[in-house]
Amino acid sequence: MTEALQAMGSVLFDPYLIVLIFFTTILGVVIGVLPGLGATTGAALLLPFTLTMEPVHAIAVLATLYVSATFAGSITAILINTPGTSAAAATTFDGYPLAQRGEAGRALGIAVVSSTVGGIFSIIVLCIAAPLLARVAYEFRPPEYFALTLFGLSMLASISAGGAVKNLIGGVFGVWLATIGAEKSTSIERFMFGNYELYEGLSFVPVMIGLFALSELLIQSRRAHEIVNRIGMKAVKLPTREDYKRIWQTILRSCGIGTFIGILPAEGATVASMIGYSEARRWSKNKEEFGKGSIEGIAGAEAANNAATGGAMVPTMVLGIPGSGTTAIILVGLMVHGLRPGPYLFTEQVDTVYQIFGAMLLANVMFLFMGLYAAKGFARISLVPTALLWPIVFSLSIIGAYALNSSMLDVWIAVIFGVIGFFARRLGFAVAPIAVGLILGEMVEINLQNSLKMFDGAWWMIFTQPLAALFLVMAFLGLCGPYIFQKIMGRGEK
Amino acid sequence: MNIRIYLVPLFIALFSVVIIVLSLRLDVSPPMIVGDSMQPRVFPIFLMILNLILAAILALQHRKTPPKAQEWENFTTWGTILLLLPFYYLATHVDLFIAIAVVIFAMSLLWGEKRWWAALLLALVTPSLLFLLFDSVLRIRFPRGLFTNWWYS
Repeated sequence: MTEALQAMGSVLFDPYLIVLIFFTTILGVVIGVLPGLGATTGAALLLPFTLTMEPVHAIAVLATLYVSATFAGSITAILINTPGTSAAAATTFDGYPLAQRGEAGRALGIAVVSSTVGGIFSIIVLCIAAPLLARVAYEFRPPEYFALTLFGLSMLASISAGGAVKNLIGGVFGVWLATIGAEKSTSIERFMFGNYELYEGLSFVPVMIGLFALSELLIQSRRAHEIVNRIGMKAVKLPTREDYKRIWQTILRSCGIGTFIGILPAEGATVASMIGYSEARRWSKNKEEFGKGSIEGIAGAEAANNAATGGAMVPTMVLGIPGSGTTAIILVGLMVHGLRPGPYLFTEQVDTVYQIFGAMLLANVMFLFMGLYAAKGFARISLVPTALLWPIVFSLSIIGAYALNSSMLDVWIAVIFGVIGFFARRLGFAVAPIAVGLILGEMVEINLQNSLKMFDGAWWMIFTQPLAALFLVMAFLGLCGPYIFQKIMGRGEK
Repeated sequence: MNIRIYLVPLFIALFSVVIIVLSLRLDVSPPMIVGDSMQPRVFPIFLMILNLILAAILALQHRKTPPKAQEWENFTTWGTILLLLPFYYLATHVDLFIAIAVVIFAMSLLWGEKRWWAALLLALVTPSLLFLLFDSVLRIRFPRGLFTNWWYS
């Protein structure tokens, strides 16, 4: 524990890292403020710039961007009724009405404080839970890992966008994408169509850039000529003692909800903020204020979405299963920099892991001050014309896709996945399941193969392993539980 | 019967069948290498069978609750997608950075930028800055083309 605290504290003695975190926090807030450019798109665009950095600096940069952009989505949610990130969608319900009443500064103050508390709480949980989970995961063998990845994939059914079936189709498509290239144990080429650049499989980075950044560009092109109205604001106000009395319970509840939702594989800040908001409403004594500018509504959503950031890092780092779209990119970052996500990370790279946690903690403190003292300035950035902003995103995407392998094929992969992602989203499919499926695909297949070898081809033996069976039951319940529950409730009502 | 509501599940089913056919054509590994594990074709086939089942469920869902008709994409969106064609041609035959500059300029105007000089400035400055950053700081070599040939020589 002392070693861990020392590693976390060492962040404060690394001036280069502090400067990196400072500028990345600013960048994250800018990205979060710009509608359409959320944490996931931002991380996808930033990933190529981290290639030449030290692993700990690179992941700290991505993690800092994650927490700061998640918070900053609330600025535009409150001032222009457009969430900068999907995680801030619930903040618009009460943030914008409060701003319309001339209390934009108060709304932002509550959002900043709630986000900071949520973020710091989840990192404390991350520091405690991650090593404990790593100790359990240390004992996992192929059957347990196979069942766990299936559980992770089954959770895709319940992510916010798209329906359960559509999300699962996206996840299966992603897993299939992972089969492109030479099969690991036999070297038999699959779906390469004679293109030997695909021998090692599809590179994650261009696929992520295509799915998240370029598809978003095409989505934004539909709104290119829309004009937004921004509500004016004098200054951000810290919550008063009366405000704190009303929101402290909501913040604490949302901290717990957000962290728990974040830990669940494939669930992210968006789901957390929606549940945080609805629970704040359920437990509130002033339910009638919700939707009209309730400060509890803002606190509930904002504490939950930032608490989910730390929570989502738990399965990402301990199990190699991303907790959200952005953590999928952070996971890719870990792999690109030669860090093997999983329990071994906590025995072989303890310093690196805790320095990353320390960087996230520092980022939370930094965006508290930026939110309080510079939100007004950041809000102006939201007025950057889309006609100038998105062409820049295009060029960043193209160069970013090229940079990892210096390959033009990667550029075309990004472009193709940009178009696929756009049409998928227009047809109601979310792109995050495709990304998560691609990342987990190899893990699923290899662990299934190894399990079969372990049990001499008797696949049913996987069910006889207690932990594996538990994960498979959880996956089944995750997929069918809501339907079974609905049926039972339906009968009960009849 | 409204065929439109079945188009997406049908497309997914067709895609899955094509992949199954392609998987069946994959090479078979000798048993001594595969051992008790599975042939490389098995996993993709399993995935596509799963997708066929999911596509059938989606079709049933669409029959029960037809999805809302999608609005046709507007001119800006189609224009942006079509810009990718000249981008491909210019990037492969002329120069990657010239292709990016042309697309930035055209995209800015297409998205409603009325000041042509602002679009032109953006088209010149953005690729130049990115090139300098990646070439000088990150030491990444870009593919040969009109501009890069001149620079690297």
